Amino acid sequence: MSSIVRLIQNENMKIYRRPGTWVMIGLIIAAVLTAGIITNLSGSDESTDWRTNAQNTIQESEKILKDSAEGMPKAYKDSLKRDIALNEYRLDNNIPPLERGSIWSFMNNSTGIVVLISIFTIIIGAGIVAGEYSWGTIKLLLIRPASRTKILASKFIATLLFALFSLVILYISSFLIGGLLLGFESIDQPYLTYSNGEVTETSMALHFVIEYALASVDLLMMVTFAFMLSSIFRSSSLAIGLAIFLMFTGSQLTYILSQYDWVKYILFANTDLSVYFDGSPIVDSMTLGFSLVTLLVYLIVFLLLSWLLFTKRDVAA
Amino acid sequence: MSVEPIVQIRDLTKVIGKKTIIDHLSFDVYPGEVFGFLGPNGAGKTTTIRMMVGLMDMTEGEVLIDGTSIKTNFEDAIVKVGAIVENPEMYKFLTGYQNLIHYSRMMKGITKDRIQEVIKLVGLEGRINDKVKGYSLGMRQRLGLAQALLHRPKLLILDEPTNGLDPAGIREIRQYLRTLAREENVAVIVSSHLLSEIELMCDRIGIIQAGKIVDVQRVNDFIQNDTAVMVAFDVDPLESAVKAVKDTYPDREIEPSDRKLMMKMEHEMIPEVTAFLVEKGIRIYGIQTSVKTLEDVFLEVTGGEQVV
Repeated sequence: MSSIVRLIQNENMKIYRRPGTWVMIGLIIAAVLTAGIITNLSGSDESTDWRTNAQNTIQESEKILKDSAEGMPKAYKDSLKRDIALNEYRLDNNIPPLERGSIWSFMNNSTGIVVLISIFTIIIGAGIVAGEYSWGTIKLLLIRPASRTKILASKFIATLLFALFSLVILYISSFLIGGLLLGFESIDQPYLTYSNGEVTETSMALHFVIEYALASVDLLMMVTFAFMLSSIFRSSSLAIGLAIFLMFTGSQLTYILSQYDWVKYILFANTDLSVYFDGSPIVDSMTLGFSLVTLLVYLIVFLLLSWLLFTKRDVAA
Repeated sequence: MSVEPIVQIRDLTKVIGKKTIIDHLSFDVYPGEVFGFLGPNGAGKTTTIRMMVGLMDMTEGEVLIDGTSIKTNFEDAIVKVGAIVENPEMYKFLTGYQNLIHYSRMMKGITKDRIQEVIKLVGLEGRINDKVKGYSLGMRQRLGLAQALLHRPKLLILDEPTNGLDPAGIREIRQYLRTLAREENVAVIVSSHLLSEIELMCDRIGIIQAGKIVDVQRVNDFIQNDTAVMVAFDVDPLESAVKAVKDTYPDREIEPSDRKLMMKMEHEMIPEVTAFLVEKGIRIYGIQTSVKTLEDVFLEVTGGEQVV
């Protein structure tokens, strides 16, 4: 009966009326600002010639490839090949790499702050169901003419909206802070991508939107994972702990296991979609389509489990 | 009663594991009455209420609210119910008003005017824009009542509604519930362990013990169904009085007492026994009848189990 939009409004009210949420947003901006000030103080490295650097990198990479090609992990081999190709293209077309202390390199660095947003969104997502239980408000929430499915959906959507809001804040604040502190001069520099042995030029601004979106795949999966744990165990601390732990160890784990083929079915082998645009996947047989389907399956399983436990379970004392 | 019941509970059963928590519970509640739901701790009051509002699944049986099943047609049935389940826990980081906005968004057709009306009704005008964090238990109870009344429910279910209220607040709530039942024809189900509360507030009571309804009666009948009352004669000398009475009324139940002659009898018999004692030369200093309270009846019905 009650519309989902109004339920989302409610969830938003419960997220943004808490000071803790604004502390998180503040920390994101503070992180960007700190990074900006540090970059500004350390200055740019104009003294070194990028051409000689590029040539050195090419030579070193070729040497390593020649000397120790056997027994080398495939991912490493591919990254060396990529370095060579990109640097050769830069030399040929006179496109300098991102200068330290330019707006784009700053934005490139600030994609690292997406991890912070992941952590914050995990905290929000882990608390959004478990919190109602620990506050005791779940009893008054569920005795309304709104189905549990709709209530759960509104909570999930509100969590994703928080992530989106934070990402927009990060994008805008790092662009503005980067530009104000470091200058907007290099704004029309193109971005180089390497895939299947070819190097192509794209717009930097667009590149970073894609970069953010790709960085958010991990975010989406881990937040959904935390959301599921929150619905299953009704404990936000457990959900937060487990989700953040896996977020940091998951990719290491898959890297260690990368010699096995089945590793491609592990969630963390698929969360870094950027390898399909810019690099190579951990297992050769993997494709973008494969990863997308795998991610989708995980997502559906996570949501299905949350839904089953949230809608079917008794709300007891 | 010829009126259609607003709540029909039929063979309501809850089994958790192998334990039957609620065992084929059946009773009706009618519009305009205040129904007291009474039972010792662990008897299943809260479980019953949780099943009535859909927080728990029922293993067997049916709960119909105004003819609509809570089990199969939850949204249509629950819209007629306002409830506080256990303590009225609210979002502490929101103000009282924001809490009410929150619940009003979950139901159709609740205007800002209605919210104001309800705030005035429960007497929270002064503090409604403060965070719930700073509310006393009594104020939270009022806010709980406000959220339950927002959508003008036909059935109000309150778990321990006077918990944490001061005596003036208790009387206010009591009068308010009575008015609500009488004037708006709302059915109110009140669960409580305070027998005196139930006695003052309710028209009928249902006693539940070990998951079963032991008895459902009108409060007045409940107290007065026993025509024989216990009468205490303050007499001297006590021993000869007891002996004389025992000889003359061998069928009567005499309760042993050190100070008074305690005897069970019908109201009409009091003058006769008095005259008899006077005739025997026994001095009478006082005669007291003890009317059974709901508490006595309750302890009788539930077999003397502790109430609180």
